[in-house]
Amino acid sequence: MTTTTIDSNTRRDSRRAGFGFALSEKQVWGLLFVAPYLAIFVGFVVFPVGYAFWLARSPQLYVDLYNDPVFLRTAVNTLVFLIVAINVKMAIALFLSGFFTHKRWWVKILAVLFVLPWAVPSIPTIISVRFMLNPEWGVINQLIFQLTAEDGPNWLNDPTLALSLSMVVHIWKSLPFWTLILLAGRLAIPHELYEAASVDGAGAWHRFAYITWPSISTLYVTCTLLSMIFTVGDFNSVYLLTGGGPADLTHVLATLGIRYLRLDQVGMAMASIVCCLPLILPLVYFMMKRLSR
Amino acid sequence: MTRRKLFREVSAEAGLLLIGIPVLLWTMIPIYHMFLFAISPKDAAFSGQLWPAHPTVRNFEIVFGQKHHFLYNFWLQMWNSLAISCATAVLTLMVASAAAFAISRLRMKGGRLVMNLALFTYFIPAAFLAVPMYKTMGMYGLLNNDWALILAMVTVASPYAIWILRQASDKLPVELDEAALIDGASPFQLFRMVYLPLMVPSLIAVGTYALLLAWNEYLYAFLLLSRETAITLPVALGNFLSADDSPWELLMTAGFIYALPPAAIYYAFRRYMSSGLTAGAVKG
Amino acid sequence: MRRILAGAAALAVAFSAVPGMAQDKLTVWWVKGFYKSEDDALYAAIKKYEQKTGTKIELSQYAVQDMNAKSVAALDAGTVPDIAYSDTYDVQTAGKWAFDGKLEDLSDVLVPMKDRFEAVALSTANLYSDKAKKKAYYAFPIKQQTLHIQYWKDMLGQAGFKESDIPGTWKEYWSFWCDKVQPGIRKATGQRLFGTGFPMGVESTDSFQSFLSWVDAYNVKLVDDNGKLLVNDPAVKTGLVSALTDYTQPYLKGCTPPSSTTWKDPDNNVAFHNKTTVMTHNYTISIAAKWLDDANNETLTAEQRAAGRKAYDELIATAGFPKKPDGSPMVYRTAVKVGVIFEASKQKAKAKDFLKFLMEEDNLRPYVEGALGRWFPVTKASQESPFWQADKHRKAVYDQFKAGTTPFEFTKNYKFTILNNENAWAKAMNRVVNEKVPVDKAVDELIARIKEVAG
Repeated sequence: MTTTTIDSNTRRDSRRAGFGFALSEKQVWGLLFVAPYLAIFVGFVVFPVGYAFWLARSPQLYVDLYNDPVFLRTAVNTLVFLIVAINVKMAIALFLSGFFTHKRWWVKILAVLFVLPWAVPSIPTIISVRFMLNPEWGVINQLIFQLTAEDGPNWLNDPTLALSLSMVVHIWKSLPFWTLILLAGRLAIPHELYEAASVDGAGAWHRFAYITWPSISTLYVTCTLLSMIFTVGDFNSVYLLTGGGPADLTHVLATLGIRYLRLDQVGMAMASIVCCLPLILPLVYFMMKRLSR
Repeated sequence: MTRRKLFREVSAEAGLLLIGIPVLLWTMIPIYHMFLFAISPKDAAFSGQLWPAHPTVRNFEIVFGQKHHFLYNFWLQMWNSLAISCATAVLTLMVASAAAFAISRLRMKGGRLVMNLALFTYFIPAAFLAVPMYKTMGMYGLLNNDWALILAMVTVASPYAIWILRQASDKLPVELDEAALIDGASPFQLFRMVYLPLMVPSLIAVGTYALLLAWNEYLYAFLLLSRETAITLPVALGNFLSADDSPWELLMTAGFIYALPPAAIYYAFRRYMSSGLTAGAVKG
Repeated sequence: MRRILAGAAALAVAFSAVPGMAQDKLTVWWVKGFYKSEDDALYAAIKKYEQKTGTKIELSQYAVQDMNAKSVAALDAGTVPDIAYSDTYDVQTAGKWAFDGKLEDLSDVLVPMKDRFEAVALSTANLYSDKAKKKAYYAFPIKQQTLHIQYWKDMLGQAGFKESDIPGTWKEYWSFWCDKVQPGIRKATGQRLFGTGFPMGVESTDSFQSFLSWVDAYNVKLVDDNGKLLVNDPAVKTGLVSALTDYTQPYLKGCTPPSSTTWKDPDNNVAFHNKTTVMTHNYTISIAAKWLDDANNETLTAEQRAAGRKAYDELIATAGFPKKPDGSPMVYRTAVKVGVIFEASKQKAKAKDFLKFLMEEDNLRPYVEGALGRWFPVTKASQESPFWQADKHRKAVYDQFKAGTTPFEFTKNYKFTILNNENAWAKAMNRVVNEKVPVDKAVDELIARIKEVAG
């Protein structure tokens, strides 16, 4: 089947381009070059994913899931996490990418320090943040007490605050990566454009609105979508910081899935993720259209 | 005029500092807090002070000297992390650059479909794939083998790598390979002699990305690796969560040390990082 | 091109190759020990077995929180180890595995040595299989733990009290720490310290293990020996209301740190170690054992070692509970840690042989004692070992276990593992202290959830 496709394609191409033999060979080469990736894709994506769906096939699982009082809240949390955390993160990344284009010696040093959160492993860092937030002896509340003589908040005891802090940790950890990408985008904008603008006397806002943004808006939207999809599986920032607490009000799908897994409810673990597919499917569709252009 | 210019410069500088200082604090406070644990004697870090009364390098000595039960294989596990990350980076580069070459330069039919399929990978959360991936590796006979983790990481890193490399290679002039083809070079020679050298900045950036991804992986690492001597350091750090009373200061110390090699790699390659990671994704 | 084809072929070969299983090899998965002495004892036993039988043992050790996910994945993939042990099996999966028929019946190994075990401990390994429609020993007991009270004697002194001032009756006992010790220590130090540390976090095992002891104190039985729920009995509701009231009082009165509702397992230890709380209750004596470990830790300075020694020998006390509200002595809830041989194991006979060997007093005892008193033995002879009389912490543990124990509900109805894992108990506490729901209503919700999950 593959062969016939190639042949017919080649024929069409050769008519158009004029040196038929080279082109048909080109298609074979193309397949050869893409073969290693296809092998990996079939072996490590198609097969496991198919198997996962097979594990999640029983309708009873979805009834059980619906009856789990935590599930609905978890789905909402995941949505909030995706929409709020990612957009805030990308907006900050966009802003900071502008900051890092400045050529100062100290900005260069800062840029190196700035990537550290990306490099540190999650377990010690997030546990350290947890210790920081301890309301009785943690550094933050000690400081608040010394400055204001009042007790700081009980940070992780309020569901909204706790989920927000998980998002803050997530942002802290992945901000460097996205800032770097947007920075690269900015650096790729031809310098002459800015020079021309400054001759015209355009202010910073105008430069951004008329030069920078039009140039990197595609990249920005793409990164936002990619980041959302990456984040659906973010397990560490919630698991290590709040553990889903207080009272299971801050779970996201990834942490809930692992909880089912530990109890050997593999089907439930899979089903819980299948349920979030409607959530990400539009994202993915949008994404594919965009990226493969 | 000059005074106004001076004023403008000073205010611009002040504006930059106004952004720079919060960025520094935001980035460094959690890391400083980790570092505080690392230089504090046992338990002193829990006193909520901003600087320990008796700073010490003892924790570093314990970690470097592998003197704690959880860290007996510290250097070996560090080496495993390095080996697995490097292998992931190299393999990702090979697979992704070949695929990007086929899609972008050879204008392979169905290239767009391959790109779409690749990106499909990202819509499956790692937590969802954990059990199926384990089963898959078991069927391939790769369990408890470094290759299981490396291949899993290549799977995760490749789509993004292909996307970046494709974008970058679209920017190379078409005449280049047409000329080479007419000269009688095979696509493979073209790939090796012309394409790869031109792509070096993007390759370095993508390689670093893959390396860091594997360096900090936890979920797949503990699932797919087994022996104490085969696991990567993040998995070993998981031991500290084993019981309700752990030497937290050693966990922080080890974590702090673990962050240094990637930071150094980034520092060494930073020139390429910014140009390579998005090359071509900008409308010129 | 040829090179690529060769590569693809190599890849295909690599993927299809299934490693041959050597016959004289036994795969063992064992949780990573917390102390070196634990793992050393395990290694010694394994080496001894290897020398005795010529069987090669391939040991893999994982952190405790990874063991379950890993075992579940292995079960699903059909690549199980021949024998496995984790501290989490009993509370999370052993009951379900037995119910689903995934475990090998170990009766032929355990029944002949039945008399060597303490009866309650062994009974927890007697699980129901719905596949075989029978109860049998589908797991093997290794060690056990229960709830202890730990307090700082020096802080108690600072607050103006002696150990003999501690009341022995239920109500007075808890009121003493909250209403007397806390004001006393705050006055003496001028710091915002707390009389007690009550773990109440949902993402912790401490919280439900502690709370269920309060349930025991009110003589509440949630299930009968066949796993049938007893929650329709009005006495159960009354008991649960009393237990929940008592357990949430310290928080509402401000006698436990505000963060208690978010504590994970390490947090009550940390709060105790840095002397934020005078007293806490903890499953195992890990709090005291940490200071003993410091005292023996060669990498610490002489002063640190001395401080550890002093805290262990003089400053920290380990104690049992006061009398129950009805005046009778407390019966302690024991969590017996079990290991398993999977039904899918390829070498069950060999695994059982290894199990038999491991269960010998000489092999099991050093492993349990290697944990500095955190775990209590399940065999009668090891319980009488001099180790448990060596200091007052261990003596206290010994006395508690000898006072009589009772097992967890999940050994009779595995679905309680789900309730424990989602921590329905800590959620009820949170309803009361954070959402200000009346205790009565929180208990109704709790009972409804128990029925829904375990009915």
